[in-house]
Amino acid sequence: MSMSASSPLLAVEGVSVFYGKFRAIDHVDVTVGGGEVVSIIGANGAGKSTLLKAIIGQADRVEGTIGFAGEDIIGRSTEAIVASGIMLVPEGRRLFPSLTVEENLRLGWDVGRKGEIGFADVWHQFPVLLQRRRQKAGSLSGGEQQMVALARALLANPRLLLCDEISLGLAPRVVNELYALIPDIKRRGIGILIVEQDIERSLAVADRFYCLLEGKVSLAGRPHEVTRDLVIKHYFGL
Amino acid sequence: MASLWINQLLQGILLGGLYALFATGLSLAAGVMRFINIAHGDFIVLTCYVLLVLTTTLGLNPVVATLIVLPAAFLFGFGLQRFLLQRVVGENVLLVILVTFGLSIIIENGLLEGFGADPQKISGGWLETATVALGAGVNVGLFQVLTFIAAVLLVAALDLLLYRTGIGAKIRAVSDDVAAADLIGLSSVRLYAIAMGISFVTIGIAAGFMSIWTNFDPASGPTRLLIAFEVVVMGGLGSLWGSLAGGIVLGVAQSIGGQFDIAWQTMAGHIVFLIVLALRPQGLFPKY
Repeated sequence: MSMSASSPLLAVEGVSVFYGKFRAIDHVDVTVGGGEVVSIIGANGAGKSTLLKAIIGQADRVEGTIGFAGEDIIGRSTEAIVASGIMLVPEGRRLFPSLTVEENLRLGWDVGRKGEIGFADVWHQFPVLLQRRRQKAGSLSGGEQQMVALARALLANPRLLLCDEISLGLAPRVVNELYALIPDIKRRGIGILIVEQDIERSLAVADRFYCLLEGKVSLAGRPHEVTRDLVIKHYFGL
Repeated sequence: MASLWINQLLQGILLGGLYALFATGLSLAAGVMRFINIAHGDFIVLTCYVLLVLTTTLGLNPVVATLIVLPAAFLFGFGLQRFLLQRVVGENVLLVILVTFGLSIIIENGLLEGFGADPQKISGGWLETATVALGAGVNVGLFQVLTFIAAVLLVAALDLLLYRTGIGAKIRAVSDDVAAADLIGLSSVRLYAIAMGISFVTIGIAAGFMSIWTNFDPASGPTRLLIAFEVVVMGGLGSLWGSLAGGIVLGVAQSIGGQFDIAWQTMAGHIVFLIVLALRPQGLFPKY
């Protein structure tokens, strides 16, 4: 355990992901510590979502090592990875529309680690979901659905939370509400890896960031240490 | 004269119970995995033969034999999905049809090889001959009543399982969006296998009642599939209570049709199926 105390919670080392012959991600190194917020930015097709897929065990062919809490998790099933403490908030929310809000949430509890976050925390954090818990998830607004997706992930009591485009298609007010929850999640010691199209939003909340360009890390650092121009340059590869 | 028609109507409703037993497993598998197991009817007939062996060579009571078969049926269905059908799921619906059609041919010919073409039947003893007199000259068979009760209980049990248990919610989640289920760590492979296992339990129950109700031979499977398929489509794909309703509609149609002219028994069922399909293509109790 002394190893995991000194090594980061997540250590992606020299990871490449292939779709057939195409190398979608090329020797990428990314680390996330406990209670740290790390953003992955990059243009469409830069490999951001692919990286998350590789971490959660849903990519077909992955090379390199993905260390989580000191163990290499490449080749493990998603089921095992989730049970060991990584949970994804998928792009497009991906709720089960015919299931009720409560049933959707319970799935998160069932697949995850058992821990301190329970239904009481979720109802406290998202009172609107308590009101709507017997409603079908498909009948909720986009913002409410995103709340369910985030709450479902939190109920899995992750040590590492992966957020894929959680602001996509939502009103700014709703996005603000969701991002306002991040400090509380951090305080619990949960590491957060955020993939987001919205650079400003993404950098404002991050402790560190990585910029991906055509499958490679083109820039990495702390948001306050870089200029906007530098980020734009590495974002588009100018 | 009125009692004659009431009698036929009741017989039809009770026959609908047997048809619902044929259909619930098919409906469950189709609703969750979105494919039709072409060998569904042949697996019912295969299980009838398993029960025949258990009751004749081992001398077991048919009820005991059926209860022994059910857990084995679950494991068989689980394994069939996990190790064979899962390989073709999601690839192309034609592949699933081809694989299950192949299974159908293997089962029919295997049974023909092993048992010959003679019709077989399992004796239900006194259960088979006991009747319930409802007065005014209307009598129904006790076994037929029990079959209908079994169908209602089976549908109710599956309804509870799917809508009141954790495993049921997981199966419905996979049915909603299989890729999303995999993304959050629900193993769709295992849940599909469980769903097929449950489907095979219903096959075991259907075989238990069918093997006493009527004769069966190695070629009986496709007819059972056709009945199950018509019932599922009439009831609404994936709707369990719809399967019961569809079964009753088909049973009554056949029974009333047969009263006019026995040659019309089967045809009347198909005609009613076509009428329902034309007027309500989504089925009587659509789920989607």
